[in-house]
Amino acid sequence: MSTTAVAAPVPTPLPRAVVAARPTFGGVVRGELTKLLSLRSTWWTLATTVLLMTGVSLAVAGSLDSMAADPSTAAELAALTGPVVVSGGFQLGMLAIAVLGALVMTGEYSTGMIRSTLAAVPTRVPVLAAKATVLAVATAVVATLGIALSYLATMPLLADHDLVPRLAEADTWRVFGGTVFFMVAAALFALGVGTLLRSSAGAITVALSVLLLLPTLLVFITLDWVETVVDYLPLPASGAFLGGGEDSLSAVGDELAPSAGVLVVAAYAIVPLIAGALALRRRDA
Amino acid sequence: MIEAHELTKRYGEKTAVDGISFTIAPGSVTGFLGPNGAGKSTTMRMIMGLDRPTSGTVTVNGRPYAEHRSPLSEVGALLDAKAVHPGRSARSHLRTMAATHNIPSSRVDEVIEMTGLAAVAGKRVGGFSLGMGQRLGIASAMLADPRTLILDEPVNGLDPEGVQWVRRLVRTLADEGRTVFLSSHLMSEMAQTADQLLVIGRGRIIAAGPVQEVIDSVSAAAVRVRTPRAGELADLLQADGVTISSPEPGTLDLRGIDAADVGELACAAGIALHELCPRSATLEEAYMSLTQDAVEYRSDLAATTSAATTSAATTSAVPEEGSR
Ligand SMILES: Nc1ncnc2c1ncn2[C@@H]1O[C@H](COP(=O)(O)OP(=O)(O)OP(=O)(O)O)[C@@H](O)[C@H]1O
Ligand SMILES: [Mg+2]
Repeated sequence: MSTTAVAAPVPTPLPRAVVAARPTFGGVVRGELTKLLSLRSTWWTLATTVLLMTGVSLAVAGSLDSMAADPSTAAELAALTGPVVVSGGFQLGMLAIAVLGALVMTGEYSTGMIRSTLAAVPTRVPVLAAKATVLAVATAVVATLGIALSYLATMPLLADHDLVPRLAEADTWRVFGGTVFFMVAAALFALGVGTLLRSSAGAITVALSVLLLLPTLLVFITLDWVETVVDYLPLPASGAFLGGGEDSLSAVGDELAPSAGVLVVAAYAIVPLIAGALALRRRDA
Repeated sequence: MIEAHELTKRYGEKTAVDGISFTIAPGSVTGFLGPNGAGKSTTMRMIMGLDRPTSGTVTVNGRPYAEHRSPLSEVGALLDAKAVHPGRSARSHLRTMAATHNIPSSRVDEVIEMTGLAAVAGKRVGGFSLGMGQRLGIASAMLADPRTLILDEPVNGLDPEGVQWVRRLVRTLADEGRTVFLSSHLMSEMAQTADQLLVIGRGRIIAAGPVQEVIDSVSAAAVRVRTPRAGELADLLQADGVTISSPEPGTLDLRGIDAADVGELACAAGIALHELCPRSATLEEAYMSLTQDAVEYRSDLAATTSAATTSAATTSAVPEEGSR
């Protein structure tokens, strides 16, 4: 159709063919996938996540030589494992992915899109479930990509120190799998917080504080109860199943058993989502 | 068919919609009128299940909107604020909506053509003009070919062709037996488009019914008279309990008397009439007098203008334009 149609639209007779419309959860998921992938900001965020993950692991791998040369850090080097170096960038990558997780919901509120969304799916909760599904898959893909890229990029540097992760070893897959799991949990946590708070600024602030700021700050406080609280923050809790270098934040959580760490991190993903679902059902759009 | 029963919405202290009951019948276009803040958009959001009524109920085609198996096939809505992410293209936006109901993408292209958006469908919505945004809103309302249409100020921002297109579209849809419920502040537009009216003010229903009935219920037909001796004629008529106003010197609008009687009276008094014309009230006039007590956000300018009209009326009652 030419632009003339814009200037002088003719009264188009309504196409009499009845439009087949049949809502399904699969359809809602496809709708959310279309939403996610049709925004440029999504691609920026996903690319940033991969770059941050790769960049950090490269930087760590690149500093191995100087660590080995300096006697004061030699011990640290000895404690370092290949998989931890390769997946080490997730602590920065999770920040980008958490921002995306929050925006997936808060972006709808700030633009008014939420009204179109909830008019199409007035039962509402399927929207959140579909968002969570799509976000989890996208995050898993990106985290896997980030690790794969880090693995390839750091291989020459790690080879010098005999630290190239051995793909035949279960421990390698535990760390890689745990990293992907943690990234997905971080994204879902931010989505849940975003659903509860509805404001981009508020949700991003809360999500990033809990994920990174609180453990970084509280780690300097040596009160017993504060240390306990820190153990139960997501990043330190991830240390229980990821291991990690001695001075990494993850190491603080060594107090928790690995399975407990997994459960704590999973709770961070699930509890805000459930609370968000309840709020979404109840509130005005 | 839309049925509301004692529908009420409070936002904190503010009662936006105050126990209104109405039925919007299929097969006709129902205009929804009311001053700013009267509660029109709120009512529409409640119909769509977006805002939860504080009390009361509203159903579409027999059940609450959210309980329909295929909601978009029941109601298509254009809500007041742009309910679109500006970063997405028009086509992507429509596809996200269509996907939820497994509507084929051929239908997306169809509504794009229909609303004249084909040339810009791939562009990001953030760069759209007001009218383009409205067209996109109408396109998404039409997506599932719904039985009921709810349009909140659909012609707002449309060019004259667009306005005409919407008018014909809603006419066609109503003639097909669908329910069309639309709000607007443009009275002349509403007079041409709507069959039925629902007028609200401060959250309550002020008037409802067929357009002409609503108009007649408020303002009796008037007679316009133009004569150089307007003052004398006014004095004569005043005695008979006729309501007189004077929109400009030498011109009188009379209510409570018909044209024939005015002519006879003037003839008997030897007053020459330059014009004698029966005039039925416009929707705008009817609307103004219906809502004058219900306007919440009155503009100062309006107050100034009405004051000026009043003084013009007073001076012209004694037509001494020459002496000054
Ligand atoms: N989400 C909200 N929170 C608080 N107050 C609200 C909200 N939505 C509407 N209101 C108030 O309810 C009243 C009715 O608003 P509404 O938007 O329904 O009016 P309207 O008839 O659509 O007006 P307009 O002609 O200006 O579009 C207004 O006083 C408005 O301030
Ligand atoms: Mg409104």
